[in-house]
Amino acid sequence: MFEIDWNILLPSLVVAGLVLVVLCVDIIRPDNKGGVSGYLSLLGVGVAIWVSLSLWGRSPTHGLGGMLFLDNYALFFNLIILAGTGLTIFVSTGFLEREEGGRSEYYLLILAATLGMMLMAAGADLIVIFLGIELMSIALYILVGFFRRRTDSNEGSMKYLLLGAFATGFLLYGIALVYGSTGTTNLREIELAVAQGRVYTHPMLLGGVALLIVGFAFKVSAVPFHMWAPDVYQGAPTAITGFMSAGPKAAAFAAFFRVMVASLGDLSGDWSGAIWMLAALTMTVGNLGALSQRNIKRMLAYSSVAHAGYVLVALVAANERGIAGGVFYLLAYAFMNIGAFAVIVALGRKGDENLEISGYAGVGFRHPGIGLAMTLFMVSLAGLPPTAGFFGKFQIFSAAVEAGYIWLTVIGVLNSLVSVYFYLGVVVSMYMRQPVGQAHAVSMTPFARVALLTASLGTLYIGLAPTSLLQMARQTVSALL
Amino acid sequence: MDQWILTLLTFVPVIGAAVILCVPGEQKNTIRWLALLTTGICMVLAVWLFNAYDRANPAMQFVVQVPWIPSFNIEYHIGLDGLSVSMVLLTALITLLCIPASWSIEKGVKGYFALLLLLQTGMQGVFVSLDFFLFYVFWEIMLLPMYFLIGIWGGPRKEYAAIKFFLYTLAGSVLLLLAMLAMYFNTTDPATGENTFNMLVMMDQANHSEWLRAGTIFGRSAPLMLWMAMFIGFAIKVPLFPFHTWLPDAHVEAPTAISVILAGVLLKMGTYGILRFNYQMLPDASQYFSTLLAVIGVVNIVYGAFCALAQTDLKRLVAYSSISHMGYVILGMSAFTVHGINGAVFQMFNHGTITAMLFLLVGVIYDRAHHRYIVFPNDYHEPELRGQLGFGGLWTHMPIYGSLTMIAYFAALGLPGLSGFISEALCFLGAFPVHRTLTIIGTLGVLLGAGYMLWAFQRLFMGSFNERNKDLPEINSREIATIVPLAVVVIVLGIYPAPVLDLIAASLSDLSHTLSAHSGMAANAF
Amino acid sequence: MLSDYLPIVLLLVIAAGFAAVNLGITHLVGPRKPNPVKLSPYESGVPNIGDARLRFSVKFYLVAMLFIIFDIEVVFLYPWAVVFKDLLAQGTFVFTEMVVFLGVLVLGLAYVWRKGGLEWD
Repeated sequence: MFEIDWNILLPSLVVAGLVLVVLCVDIIRPDNKGGVSGYLSLLGVGVAIWVSLSLWGRSPTHGLGGMLFLDNYALFFNLIILAGTGLTIFVSTGFLEREEGGRSEYYLLILAATLGMMLMAAGADLIVIFLGIELMSIALYILVGFFRRRTDSNEGSMKYLLLGAFATGFLLYGIALVYGSTGTTNLREIELAVAQGRVYTHPMLLGGVALLIVGFAFKVSAVPFHMWAPDVYQGAPTAITGFMSAGPKAAAFAAFFRVMVASLGDLSGDWSGAIWMLAALTMTVGNLGALSQRNIKRMLAYSSVAHAGYVLVALVAANERGIAGGVFYLLAYAFMNIGAFAVIVALGRKGDENLEISGYAGVGFRHPGIGLAMTLFMVSLAGLPPTAGFFGKFQIFSAAVEAGYIWLTVIGVLNSLVSVYFYLGVVVSMYMRQPVGQAHAVSMTPFARVALLTASLGTLYIGLAPTSLLQMARQTVSALL
Repeated sequence: MDQWILTLLTFVPVIGAAVILCVPGEQKNTIRWLALLTTGICMVLAVWLFNAYDRANPAMQFVVQVPWIPSFNIEYHIGLDGLSVSMVLLTALITLLCIPASWSIEKGVKGYFALLLLLQTGMQGVFVSLDFFLFYVFWEIMLLPMYFLIGIWGGPRKEYAAIKFFLYTLAGSVLLLLAMLAMYFNTTDPATGENTFNMLVMMDQANHSEWLRAGTIFGRSAPLMLWMAMFIGFAIKVPLFPFHTWLPDAHVEAPTAISVILAGVLLKMGTYGILRFNYQMLPDASQYFSTLLAVIGVVNIVYGAFCALAQTDLKRLVAYSSISHMGYVILGMSAFTVHGINGAVFQMFNHGTITAMLFLLVGVIYDRAHHRYIVFPNDYHEPELRGQLGFGGLWTHMPIYGSLTMIAYFAALGLPGLSGFISEALCFLGAFPVHRTLTIIGTLGVLLGAGYMLWAFQRLFMGSFNERNKDLPEINSREIATIVPLAVVVIVLGIYPAPVLDLIAASLSDLSHTLSAHSGMAANAF
Repeated sequence: MLSDYLPIVLLLVIAAGFAAVNLGITHLVGPRKPNPVKLSPYESGVPNIGDARLRFSVKFYLVAMLFIIFDIEVVFLYPWAVVFKDLLAQGTFVFTEMVVFLGVLVLGLAYVWRKGGLEWD
């Protein structure tokens, strides 16, 4: 009766244990600034990555009374999430010191959010996924408002909390309706119920699916549920903005893909039209919104909306190439986007975050390394070869073409053309504008340097030699199809 | 191991760029010499390839084919045929000459030469790729260095010109990407039974799917739509009317060496792409659009020439003359005759050398006078100069410069004995049997070409000497060294074109045979 | 099948109707003589002071939250206690499980304590 396959919990247990360890640090030294916690978290995240890698390809792929999966799909997302967390911690150490906002709880919350994300990717039951979302979201609400003396940070936090609670309501209602019509919240059971036609009332199920889509669309910031993103991204501490755009987005997509494709795949005729619209709107509104932004964090917020749209294209295609492409893209996006935020952190100063794009004038010559890295990230976000962003987009669009969604591909491709304009705007500012005022020394901690270097090399490596990661992404697909 | 020479040629510039990045930025001369060394090595390799290339063999040579991203069947697949070997030689030559032409650049020397070398890798890669995906990657890689070279080292409106260049070309690339995906999903490699990016497989229509032969998309014929997508992608690069407006802006703002590369090599990629992709992968659709091509070619010739006539800025004049001259290429290839296609490719090569000379010569005078107005425009910032001649009577003051300019201008207007004449004549000769009226209109371009070139020459070098220019020094030996090799090539190929023409003819006769085999059915294929 | 519920519906309707009718009648026939004391929110003989929308000290919220968090956990202890004896026969897992659970809670409590969350001043 108590035969528990502990391996299935192992990655989550490592992170959960880490949360407790960091908590203990706080108990022992209540007034610490978070230095030790940061190092401990990094170590623990490293262990969790190692554990996830060593469990690759294991079977059985589900356990714990059918509540959790630990298939390649979940493991791959663990890698994305943990990579995002690790890079964020690297970036955060110097950032917190500079802004004098260092508290041990910062790392505690990041790790708790990470645990939530891992549960979202691994959840085999709508309830587990919901718990994961809440664990992640509550930690994020606090993190967004972590600099509590800043009004924009508070505003972002409050907006995120209110709208997030609203979206949670939609999600729960959706889960309730799905439960009502299929009699279960277990993903595999739902799949069977739908396949065998054991559905109480079909409209009720569809209503549930629609509400689930709304809930998830909010979490991945898809248009028209994206309104919170710009304000929250702008208000949050910069390192947290980077964190939010990578891990939580990937985790939300992990759950979204799993629920839609694995459980409700038989209904794809009903939902793919809706996702089609969401994808087209998200890409278009995101990119057009980013065009007019002067603040780089806001610009990247809209850009992250647009990128959610590209991944939704993969969900519309919902074929083998599409899922592998979407998963792969989220990995690529984690590297390039956190890299971009690492640059923003590096170029800020205490009391002046230097967030106007025009303030980047001359950076390319004053700080050649940082300029080069930022150029790489912008090029990758714009989706130009030979970077990670290009190959990710290439896969998604080829999947859409393969599945016959030509118009959606055309919209996507046109959108990535539009996006080049504002991404290059940053590059133009860095290299082609005359700087005003004095050059400021940029002090990067060794940790921040490591983060920037890792993100840059990752972005290039994924673009130039994607084969091994692509193989892994391909191996995740069997979990869903 | 011979085939790896091609890989070496493609990636030596990247290695050079990496080495340059390691040199401290203050050692400007070390950087310059390193760049010269790198491009020199490339030139040696290119000449070696040019000699080793077996002219009797129309198949791809020096082929390397290794898997790159196996799950998409993407390969590192490169090789040379007569079409690409001439372009590879042209690229190596032009880039080599651009290094001394950039010697006087003082701002961000390290970045400039590193980007220039990166650009060279992109260009070489485009001409040797035999995998569509690889081709696309090189095609895009080339954009960024060009964007930075215009945007950082350019003239007053550099930002505008750089973004315009980038967005125009990228819009073309986007169409190319869609076409690439469509080709990929509709081509089956007979060896593996899977979809492939292998261009050689795509060129055999037996491997195309039913959809690619006769299907429809958006209610229109699929092969025609696909042809159009690729054509617009390449036409923007050529640039063909009405996608040409980025070119004059880019040229005017770009530094001299970059203009040279832009006109000398980059424009050729457009026509290279049309020949390599549109013609060889979708020959029937190419036949179908033959008249359209001829019309666009003639519009380019005549429109470009008229625009050139109206220019007061010497560089803009040369830019529009480029548009006009690329029209000959399109007109030549539109007819699907051996002469026409030979002429088109030869014109691509010749335009590369001639227009490089023209831009280098503009650069020489601009470096000295800091303006390049034949006539000062009506909105010039010094009111008393408006409407005045910018130069005039320079011949007596700068005789060497004048003579070199004379060679270049005569080559550009197609004087017999210089290389431009042969290729232009071949283009007309090839097009005449098929598009009679259009060719006759097109010959107007030769007349207009003589008009704007000679008129410009007269206003620059003849007449009374303009005392404002009495302090201009004569062209120096470094500049002579960049221009003379091109002049020699232009004269030698004008008298004895066989080395290049043979090379092209061997592989292209194969191409035009494929095309004429299809020409019978093309008329009623759609 | 639905007709089975008819008596219940009738009962509801009659109950609601009775209340509504009574309220309506008193509203119509009852005498009304309002004065300021009667109209005040609390007709207790003591005059009102100040506004109802007071700012509470944030400490109340903190205590309330902590109370709820630790109070709710007791809910988990009840079902555990009910089956504890039966399950203990199958191994000690059921015991260690609750020890771990309570251990985590104790850590949380220790954290709150050390951070000064339990101090009023």
